[in-house]
Amino acid sequence: MERKKYEKSLRIKEDYTLKKLGLALFSIVLLLSLLTACGNDDKEADKGKTDGKDTVEISLWLTPQWKGVIDSSEEGADFDSFFKYAAEKFSEQYDKHDVKVNVEVIAGDQRDEMLNVNLNGGTPPDIFFESVFAMGDYAHRGALAPLNDIVDDEAKQDIEQSFWDTVTFGEDIYFYPFSHMPGTLVYNADMFKAAGLEKYVGSADAIQTWTLDEYETILKELKANTPEDKYSNAYPMGLYALNNQGDTWNLAYLRMFGSPFFDDEGNIVLADEKGTKAAAWLKDMYDEGLTNPGAESVSSNDVNAMFQNQQLGVSFTNSVLYNNIKADMASGNVPEFDARLANIPSESGDPLSFTYVTGASIFDTGDKTRMEVSKDFVKFFSSDPELVKASKNGVPVRKSVVEEFKGENPLFAAYEANSQYMFSFTGNVPGYNELRQVLYPELQALYTGEKSPEEAVKDYQKKGNNVIEKAKEDSVIYNK
Amino acid sequence: MLKRKNKLKQEKFDITANVIVLFFAILSLFPLYWLVTSSFKNSAAVVKMPPDWFPKTFNFQNYIDVFSNQPALKWAMNSVIVSLVATVALIIVSSLAAYAFSKLQFKGKNVIFIIFISSLMVPKEVMIVPLYRIVDQLGMVNSLHGMIWPNVATAFGVFLLKGFFDSIPDSLRESAKMDGASEFRTFFKIMLPIVKPGIGALFILYFVQVWNDYVWQLVIGQEEGVKTLMVGTATLMQDLNPNFAYKMAGATVAAIPMLVIFLFFQRYFTRGISIGAEKG
Repeated sequence: MERKKYEKSLRIKEDYTLKKLGLALFSIVLLLSLLTACGNDDKEADKGKTDGKDTVEISLWLTPQWKGVIDSSEEGADFDSFFKYAAEKFSEQYDKHDVKVNVEVIAGDQRDEMLNVNLNGGTPPDIFFESVFAMGDYAHRGALAPLNDIVDDEAKQDIEQSFWDTVTFGEDIYFYPFSHMPGTLVYNADMFKAAGLEKYVGSADAIQTWTLDEYETILKELKANTPEDKYSNAYPMGLYALNNQGDTWNLAYLRMFGSPFFDDEGNIVLADEKGTKAAAWLKDMYDEGLTNPGAESVSSNDVNAMFQNQQLGVSFTNSVLYNNIKADMASGNVPEFDARLANIPSESGDPLSFTYVTGASIFDTGDKTRMEVSKDFVKFFSSDPELVKASKNGVPVRKSVVEEFKGENPLFAAYEANSQYMFSFTGNVPGYNELRQVLYPELQALYTGEKSPEEAVKDYQKKGNNVIEKAKEDSVIYNK
Repeated sequence: MLKRKNKLKQEKFDITANVIVLFFAILSLFPLYWLVTSSFKNSAAVVKMPPDWFPKTFNFQNYIDVFSNQPALKWAMNSVIVSLVATVALIIVSSLAAYAFSKLQFKGKNVIFIIFISSLMVPKEVMIVPLYRIVDQLGMVNSLHGMIWPNVATAFGVFLLKGFFDSIPDSLRESAKMDGASEFRTFFKIMLPIVKPGIGALFILYFVQVWNDYVWQLVIGQEEGVKTLMVGTATLMQDLNPNFAYKMAGATVAAIPMLVIFLFFQRYFTRGISIGAEKG
């Protein structure tokens, strides 16, 4: 009897312990689940009507461009500050709807992953603010909506035609140009002077233009005369082909001897005498030790870092990189030296110039109201006299803004003067992003000696045109 | 004489083995050392050639940048919640399922188990779009729920724990039954404590996996407030002029919880791995 009683009490105790443990585990999961829910409470509250107007919620994604509304020195300046401020200003004056803009910053290397999943899931963002070259394929895929209806004469006059050409695919404008980022060369003027090359050093506020012969002389002199005690492990020119990073400069080098690169039908036409000559020039420079060694396994980031560490005489840069180097020098993050700009030389003597146009595009979400509001918002922040001043963080596409700030930044005028030599490095061809994967393996084969210059350009043209041909079949612009 | 010779031989062998182990330990720890020390350098110094093996100046600016202007603590909290809830929920679900597959007899057991296991052969990347659509329809995009619950629906835990349950003799379960224990009590009071090393291993392995689940967290957590530490710190990087030292600081911050967890669960981790390998 006693034993039974004892066993019963033991069982009750065990049951109690079991329940307690089970309950504890359940509570942990429940508590943590509740915590996860806390972050989402305010979402539903934003929907509905206020002031008798419908509330329209749109999303804007951007990759990091500049911090602050107008200037990074503002308190709390961040990558989304400009668009948050613009959204507030837009909502105040917009009378069709109450508008809420959700601004999200995504890293550049997250862009395609995020967009592809969201496009396939039927939830693309309404607006994307990014470099046009990275987004052109989405226009060809039919994911973007044309913006012709929000571009007025005032904008067409204030923004150079070359920028409109960059954002026009087929007959339609798909991006509203906001700012641009010209690509040039950058050189270490101190190293030039140390190597006795003073006469090739240009003004600090200008973009120096050298002929191709002068450029070759510079590289040879740098190799021969750069003092080893001051610049140990230094090379005349930076060259890279590890991946597709910074491939625009490689594309520019391949145009050095006059190759038009694309024909009128959007096919690559590099495998001719001019293209082969350019590839042979790169290989010669590499073989003569006028560039850093191991170009096939060096990335543009490595080259940029080498330049900052004064291990290169000439490197690649763009307006943002150049400003960042200057800022890093001023803050002591990078040892100070005299870095100046130069154009990419060509055989003809005319500089090779290109730029990355940045602007907003609108995804075709199928929701007419959201698309209308998105277009109005894009037009607003791309043309509002106060907001367009923020384009000075890059190089403004609007002549009016260049005029206003050229005293503050003399290089704006130099960049503007270069625009006459500008070429479209993408040719606005479909499949450009995939095309980028084809070039660097050919350059690697060129530098390692696996392929001759002739073979490298021929194979690039063949593979590249296959990519373009395939992309043309899927392009809504080519199949209109 | 022979004994002494043998002892000397053994000592020599020990020294050689220790030197080799030490060499590989240094080799393994070097990336961690490089990560931490680089986070105190400036960007140019990180990629300097020849490198500075020890930072010339200790610069805390990268850490200040990671935490200032960004909700980095919120991101860290999100990472902890997502990893912890998903792992605890997985352990509960997997241990129950693994026990059933190992000890209970029911129709189609082997077929169901094969279906379970074959799901492991499908890479997650293939499932991202359909999974995203489901999660979107459930209204879980931009919520931590969307990051947690799809991670619970995996056969990994079942596969790992079934091996541990298999090693327990059936007689133990039968004895418990004879003593009047219910199925749940047998599972909870008898079986579960025995497979504790397996649960420990599963906890650490899966916690690390969810913590590092960059792609899924990236597509689900699009809003600032629901980003995890991995995604959030990656967002701060600019395409142009990447600040390597800043990246190193972000990676160090993201790695610290992992190191702490490893130190606490090291015993389970090594035991679980070796036992799991034997069972496999």
